[in-house]
Amino acid sequence: MQVEKFYYDNKTVKWFAYAVMVWGLVGMLAGLWIAVEIYYPPLSMGFAPTTFGRMRPVHTNAVIFAFVGNGIFMGVYYSLQRLCKARMFSDALSKIHFWGWQLIILAAALTLWAGCTTGKEYAELEWPIDIAIALVWVLFGINMFGTLIKRRESHIYVAIWFYIATWVTVAMLHIVNSLELPISILKSYSLYAGVQDALVQWWYGHNAVAFFLTTPYLGLMYYFLPKAANRPVYSYRLSIVHFWALIFLYIWAGPHHLLYTALPDWAQSLGTVFSIMLIAPSWGGMLNGLFTLRGAWDKVREEPVLKFLVVAVTCYGMSTFEGPMLSLKNVNAISHFTDWTIAHVHIGALGWNGFMTFGVLYFLIPKLWNTELYSKKLATTHFWLGTIGIILYAVPLYWAGFTQAMMWKSFTEEGQLKFQFLETVTHILPMYIARSIGGLIYLIGAIVMTYNLIKTIGQGSFIGDEAAEAAALPKVLETHSKEYWHRWIESRPLQMLFFSLIAVAIGGAIEIIPTFLVKSNIPTISSVKPYTPLELHGRDVYIREGCYLCHSQMVRPFRDEVARYGEYSKAGEFVYDHPFQWGSKRTGPDLARLGAKYPDSWHFNHMQDPQSMSPGSIMPSYPWLFENDINAFQTPKMIWAMRTLGVPYPVGYEDQCNKDAEAQANEIVARLKADKLEVKPAREIVALIAYLQRLGKDIKAAPKETKKVVADAAVLGN
Amino acid sequence: MLPIALLLTSTASLWAQGPKAPSSLSNPFVLILSLVIVALALVIAFLAKLVISSAFIKLNKDKKSQSGGFATVLTIVGLLSSFSLMAQDKAATDTASAAKGAVSLSSSLNGVSETAFYLLGSVVFLEVLIIIILLFVLRAFLVVEKKAIVSASSDEVVPEAELNWWDNLNRFKPIHQEADIDLGHNYDGIRELDNKLPPWWLYGFYCCIVFAGIYLYRYHVAESAPLSKQEYEISVAKADAEKAAYLEKSANNVDENTVKLLTDQASLAAAKKTFETICAACHLPSGAGSVGPNLTDDYWLHGGGIKDVFKTIKYGWPDKGMKSWKDDFSPIQIAQLASYVKSLHGTNPANGKAPQGSLYKEEASADAAKADTTKAAKVDSTKK
Repeated sequence: MQVEKFYYDNKTVKWFAYAVMVWGLVGMLAGLWIAVEIYYPPLSMGFAPTTFGRMRPVHTNAVIFAFVGNGIFMGVYYSLQRLCKARMFSDALSKIHFWGWQLIILAAALTLWAGCTTGKEYAELEWPIDIAIALVWVLFGINMFGTLIKRRESHIYVAIWFYIATWVTVAMLHIVNSLELPISILKSYSLYAGVQDALVQWWYGHNAVAFFLTTPYLGLMYYFLPKAANRPVYSYRLSIVHFWALIFLYIWAGPHHLLYTALPDWAQSLGTVFSIMLIAPSWGGMLNGLFTLRGAWDKVREEPVLKFLVVAVTCYGMSTFEGPMLSLKNVNAISHFTDWTIAHVHIGALGWNGFMTFGVLYFLIPKLWNTELYSKKLATTHFWLGTIGIILYAVPLYWAGFTQAMMWKSFTEEGQLKFQFLETVTHILPMYIARSIGGLIYLIGAIVMTYNLIKTIGQGSFIGDEAAEAAALPKVLETHSKEYWHRWIESRPLQMLFFSLIAVAIGGAIEIIPTFLVKSNIPTISSVKPYTPLELHGRDVYIREGCYLCHSQMVRPFRDEVARYGEYSKAGEFVYDHPFQWGSKRTGPDLARLGAKYPDSWHFNHMQDPQSMSPGSIMPSYPWLFENDINAFQTPKMIWAMRTLGVPYPVGYEDQCNKDAEAQANEIVARLKADKLEVKPAREIVALIAYLQRLGKDIKAAPKETKKVVADAAVLGN
Repeated sequence: MLPIALLLTSTASLWAQGPKAPSSLSNPFVLILSLVIVALALVIAFLAKLVISSAFIKLNKDKKSQSGGFATVLTIVGLLSSFSLMAQDKAATDTASAAKGAVSLSSSLNGVSETAFYLLGSVVFLEVLIIIILLFVLRAFLVVEKKAIVSASSDEVVPEAELNWWDNLNRFKPIHQEADIDLGHNYDGIRELDNKLPPWWLYGFYCCIVFAGIYLYRYHVAESAPLSKQEYEISVAKADAEKAAYLEKSANNVDENTVKLLTDQASLAAAKKTFETICAACHLPSGAGSVGPNLTDDYWLHGGGIKDVFKTIKYGWPDKGMKSWKDDFSPIQIAQLASYVKSLHGTNPANGKAPQGSLYKEEASADAAKADTTKAAKVDSTKK
């Protein structure tokens, strides 16, 4: 057989590695910033881009799509070439992919700081960036499949199965969830509304965790862990079973983010049971990783790379066990909307993704620069800083989350709520402080690593094109009769792509399609009317400032929530909400029934100086809302967009809408004036007050009989 | 396995009770304790594994030097492993029985029956004890091993004489027989073995699937478990009954018809604290009024008698921005607050808000107060 000589492209790997280091520090710093802001709100300095509501998406996008994203590409570009015994398909595509992705990140950071957001968590980026992401993702796919097609290895290794499933699923999720109707270059509205939007969003959100943070990193684990330990992979058949089970089951679990909400009960139950069934497939990955280390545990003691990988895989096991537990309704009733979720997520993010990335970096950099790691001692220091950081981060937050939930649910014997919402917040502030210290220690660890790697790079010499040789792939592959049935698909990457797509499409389709088509899932409430033009503007301000990141709009059917906020939320209330704003965390109280609870002047003072109206509040002030005007030019377009999406504004309302908005603004200004507060009617604060005063008002106005019908329909719908 | 067992027991006990009485597993306290038990059991399993592998390292070392000590180590290992296994079993059964016990017994601690509390508590205690013992044993072994590492080279692979329980649990093949199950795959130097699926993993997976089936059947076919809204109704009915029972025998049961002006220092001090943290947001700490009206002058929008003020606080005037506080404060607290508000009369704080509503005189009868209220409302609406 002819042996061919070729070169691995290490340059692209190097660029991605640099990007990982830079964005990692940026993303973690943004995280630390908001962690401090949450107990020290003056840190926002009255400057819009630095407030919690805008910095939080910057943090999440930076760590997920910049840090982990570049980590995926770094690992894939390194391992794919070696597993295929081939150079990447096209150097040009590699280059476009790298720079395209960095430009997307830059554009994402700038637009998020500027307040351009779709208001959907982890999918905040506006439509031009969404399109750019789709394009770059497709280029990455072409590059990957090109490499697979010209490979010299007859079969594709389990790591690549995970890469393929990642690629196809992320493409599907991103495209479906990002469908939106643009009204300007940086503003669009989600195609879906209310319950449907929530379902699509969390189908995406949950599977962003699954297919952006988990499956590609499992692929990396399958390459780098056996390489670093120099041990054979524990069980090939476990790889097969847990791979297919994982990708098939994962996609169903999204609704566990919406337990006890207005989502139909059958969908909630599917979310729960598929999460429980996920325990084993997730643990399959952990076991295959840890058992691969059998006979090599002595190396773990010596080798920093393995230390990081072992803790990463263990954290993966812990959070994939905790996740299903949090999907049980009785646990979720406590954990949801509290810091428990944040702690859970960070076990995965800091432990699994962070430590995996660090381990891979410590493995790769010396290899690429043909040298030894500058200091193993510093790497071990980093390991301990990171581990202590994770513990100090997570434990206080678990404590805070549990304590706060218990306080929310406490009643006196007379049947009154025992604690005001604000008391439950101020009570856990010390936990927030401890958490930020944990985060700081973790960040210091990452800085130590950066120093160590820079020193390593300094002492080595980079190999841009690494020589390798392998026999060409024969035209017809030999098949042995005794081989596993699964070997068939392992030599056919396109079939692998096709069957992966089928496996991941089923769950989503079964949950989403009936929710859109079957009317009984969302019983109509006749008193629910579209927003007025001014309220729409206020809603845009609400979304822009990221209010949904701290305030939910979803009263769950619990005794304490009904007592605290009012009647629990119904599916029919949200039919005009493009996008939905249910939120996922209650740093502040729920706002679903806020309308008419306080006078306009209360909101006015509260937005200017929250502490003046609720002493001890940790909400930042929003002075710019009192200086900026709403864009009246855009009102007709907003009305047009909403009507296109199915909101019943009469045809031609575009000509009337600004007049209506002015009239409503003048009413609010007059009411404020009566309380000696002066403001111009065009200011954003007026629109925001209009929106806040609207929240939950429709259902209060509902006649008794309709309510009964709705209740009956809800029972029948189940 | 243990989590699965726990899940199943939770379903089983739920099933037994039917939808009306939720399992005590839905009690957050029991739940957290159970989770702690599971977590500790996992820690025990992990520690036991560590102890056993260190025991074998010591065993092999001992074998080389002398054959003595073998039996001792093996006994310790056997004892420990069976102990930790038993502990895990015990945890599972205990939780299950605790869940049942909680239903049958009425006396309760923290909303949990005493039996359940003590059972769960003792399991936790036992587990902590086991962990401490394991840690001690482990430390003893590690001291030995540390010395060994310094002297021996780490590459040396010693074939294991026998498979321990951990190996059996996972159906591990001894490492020296690895070549038998090597599939011959080679991906950039990565080989793959053909180990069987760990049985506990596989059966755990099956259990989860069975759990999923039972769950869906109970909620959506048999409808023997309450869905969110029914769960809500059950909890409210239960709370209402408890509240009624409490109020019946308590002196706190005041309402707008029976409320009397309180003048004792304790009541007013308690109310002052609440007023200055909660009410002050709209009425200022002095009661001089900002968003809300001035509470220190002679003019009242909704009547100034103790009963009127009580009513205003209790039910609110939502259209004017005063919310109802009856879910936040108990009747006696509202009575205290109303009394405190009355005590502010005539304090004349600086920057007091202009009078709103109509003049109120203390001797006015209840009927007159009513008339005042309607009149005041009219004045207010004409103002707007």
